[in-house]
Order: sequence, then structure tokens, then C-alpha cells
Amino acid sequence: MSSRRGRITDEEINELISKLQALLPESSRRRAASRSSASKLLKETCGYIKSLHQEVDDLSDRLSELMSTLDDNSPQAEIIRSLLR
Amino acid sequence: MDAKGAPLPTPPSPNPSSGSASGAIDAPKPMLAFHFLRALSRVHAGPARRRTRTISRAAYSSMARAAGPRRAWSRALLRQAQARRSTTLASRRAAVLVRRRVAAGPAPPLALPRLTGRSSGSSGETSAARAPLLPPPPPAPRQAGEPARSDALRRLVPGGAGMEYCSLLEETADYVRCLRAQVQLMQGLADLFSCQ
Repeated sequence: MSSRRGRITDEEINELISKLQALLPESSRRRAASRSSASKLLKETCGYIKSLHQEVDDLSDRLSELMSTLDDNSPQAEIIRSLLR
Repeated sequence: MDAKGAPLPTPPSPNPSSGSASGAIDAPKPMLAFHFLRALSRVHAGPARRRTRTISRAAYSSMARAAGPRRAWSRALLRQAQARRSTTLASRRAAVLVRRRVAAGPAPPLALPRLTGRSSGSSGETSAARAPLLPPPPPAPRQAGEPARSDALRRLVPGGAGMEYCSLLEETADYVRCLRAQVQLMQGLADLFSCQ
């Protein structure tokens, strides 16, 4: 936890924002200028998080479908079991 | 069936996650895999209905468990999972009160109607039951330099409502990293299961 509660300088905020920018996927980074405003960056981040949530949902869907076709004796199940042991 | 020779996608490697040079330490990928696989095996053993939502929830809670309580977002997710586990009506009411008190403004990513394009029927019971009980307070920007966009971000990151702007940015970065790792894990598993 940061102990600098009193005054958070702009530099620190800019540093955190640039770290966030580094996390965004390449395509968004190319679109955004290197000195894009914080607001635009937050918007990109929001969009990215939403797309990640969506991916989690899609993958959950796919996994649930695959799970229903999974045979208990299949090698994949064996792999899973051995990983958990 | 040549299972042994089947090309497996790269399993979660035991190295610490790359890109942790920024100082924030991520949940190591084996922990992520362990928690999620354990949850998945429970799902597999359980009933076949509504598995998508169960798996989706398992993804978030295993992500939070792997990250541990050192992060506000993981704590918020763990609290939500705990509240959900209390199945009796009385304890559900108590859980809602706890959530109110904690003032975690963002609704859990699993109960938001926006995610239920497909499963509107199944998640209707939770979001409809909970939505009127959770009045979302619109927090004013906490600091002078904070852009208005941060409200949307606060809604997306679990536990983001009560944070300072600075912490919000840190939490967002960590959350994005872990979320991405979780997506990669699920992707790998889906590939693994589908090459039969």
C-alpha cells in the first residue's frame, strides 16, 4: 500500500498510466499516440477489460461444451487428474 | 488413439510470469492452473446444467485465489464468491448487507446483465434478485486530476469503487495481467480438450 497518501504527484500518476499503456495489446498501442491523454488511455483500458471479460465468457462456454463430451477415461482427463495429484 | 503423441499446447510453465519486472508480482501460473483445474474437476463432477456460468465464476474465483488477499480486486472477488456460497435466504440477505457496507460499487462481473447475451435466463435469477438490492452509488471523482473515465474503470475492476485514483491504476494493471493469464490458461485448456 502506498504511504504517500497526502500528495500524489502527477509524475507518479503518469508513470502508472504508462504502465497501463504497456499492458494494452499492440493494436491499441499503435492507435494511441505515445502521449495520449489519460482519458483516452482509460477508455482503451476499459474496452480491453471488457473484451477480456467477454473472452472469459466465451471460453467458459467452449469449456462447458467440451466438458460434456469429455470421456472419463480419455487421456485428457488422465492428464488433469495427474496434474492435480 | 495416439494420445501420448498428440501435440499438447504449452502447459502453464513453472516460470514466474514474464513481464513482472515492473515490480508487481503476479500470481504464478501454476497456482492459477491448479486452482482453476481443481474448480473444473468439481464442475465436471457436478450437474451438467448451467455449466458455462459455473465455469465463468470458477475462473474469477480461482484467479482471485491464486492472487491471494494482497490485492484489493482479489479480495473483492473472494468476498463475492463467499457471498454467493451462502445459499440460504437469510445468509444471502446478510451477504448483501455486507456488500453494501463494503461499498464495493462495481457489480460482480458475473451478475451484470451485459454479459448475459446468451444466458439471460440463467443469470436472471441472480441479477434480478440482487439488482434492486444493490443501489449503485455514482462516486464523484476522488481527486482533482482524475478524469471522468475512471468511473467506468471503477465499475469494471472489482472493488474499484472505494479506491483512490492511484491505487485504482495499480489495481487495474494487476487485474489486467491476471485476467490475461487466466484467458491464456483457459485457451490452452480448451485447445487441450479439443484435440482428441
